[in-house]
Amino acid sequence: MLDVTLEIFRYKPGEEPHYDTFAVQVAETAYVIDALDEAWALYDHSLTFRHACHHSSCGSCALRINGIEKLACITRMTDVWDGVHPIRLDPLRNFPIVSDLVVDVSGFFQRMSASHMQITRDAEPILPVSVDKPALGVQAEAISLPENLTRFNRFENCIECGICMSACPTMATDEKFFGPAGLAAIYRACQQTDDPTETAHLLALADGEHGVWRCHSAFECIEACPQAVDPAGKIMALRQELIARRFKKSGR
Amino acid sequence: MEPFKHPGFYRVGRWFDLRRRKAGMWAYALNRITGIGLVVYLYLHLVVLSLLLGGPGSWNAFVSLARSPLVLVLDVILFAGALIHGLNGVRVALTSFSRGVRVQKGFFSVVMVVTVVTLAFVALKVFGG
Repeated sequence: MLDVTLEIFRYKPGEEPHYDTFAVQVAETAYVIDALDEAWALYDHSLTFRHACHHSSCGSCALRINGIEKLACITRMTDVWDGVHPIRLDPLRNFPIVSDLVVDVSGFFQRMSASHMQITRDAEPILPVSVDKPALGVQAEAISLPENLTRFNRFENCIECGICMSACPTMATDEKFFGPAGLAAIYRACQQTDDPTETAHLLALADGEHGVWRCHSAFECIEACPQAVDPAGKIMALRQELIARRFKKSGR
Repeated sequence: MEPFKHPGFYRVGRWFDLRRRKAGMWAYALNRITGIGLVVYLYLHLVVLSLLLGGPGSWNAFVSLARSPLVLVLDVILFAGALIHGLNGVRVALTSFSRGVRVQKGFFSVVMVVTVVTLAFVALKVFGG
């Protein structure tokens, strides 16, 4: 068992932000979310934090562990605890803090919506029901993917956790910046559409004052992303596309 | 009740918060610091040039000050800032054209190695006479 002290950021509306410490005992195989659960169950039911799937699929439990953005559900205690000092847990940066470790993610989802990306997975090919419950003598239907699926990339991995927005230093001082996830979504949406009008709209968003040119290449989004989405790579690809279009335009 | 937001000056500090951050973030912070330093130097340079208006006497007094060890150290620091900012600028420009994003940390290592080697040469020249 591990005897660990958690130093957790606390904030309730109308109160001053501060840190509370909780001494918890968890198994050596425990994850940070387990320690948080322990603190909530044993000490303080007013401690608020988000969690849902516990397997890095929903992105709800994103927070900062010792200053660095991580998903609490897949971060082992032994990977972040030095055996001596408390583990410090903070909410994501660059988001308004609602309560303790819970941040207001509405701005994040507004950015994602701007690219017309589906926040839910409606856009993905849906498995036929027969795959789950095959009827006798009926073969599961093969999924035929759209022709342009070959151009899909790993942005599909984005779980909308907001970690990249927290890690980005530019987000700190430009609240209107689309941010790494928002711009990667625009890039992804550009790939998905064959409609030139939609592409022009998306590229105009990326080319705006708070678009790709606001990124100043810290590349922390790539480092922090738990899903290898490579947001900065997508931002640079958008820049390349925008520059190429400008050259083509001026060449006419 | 309104959600809590850190004040603006606190958020600016995040540009330079390098705790547990990776090479890209170090490059980002260094580029900002050297950029600010070079702008300050530019104005300082204009002030120094304006000494010429005071005639040969004031200019000669400045030249003897410029040869003092303290100013020479500042010259080397200035050169370091210009090197880091310029070379890192090339790195940023390349990655901005989507070239070498995956190896940007390696680029930064090259920037720093070239800076250190060049700076050692410059320091030898400045202090070695």
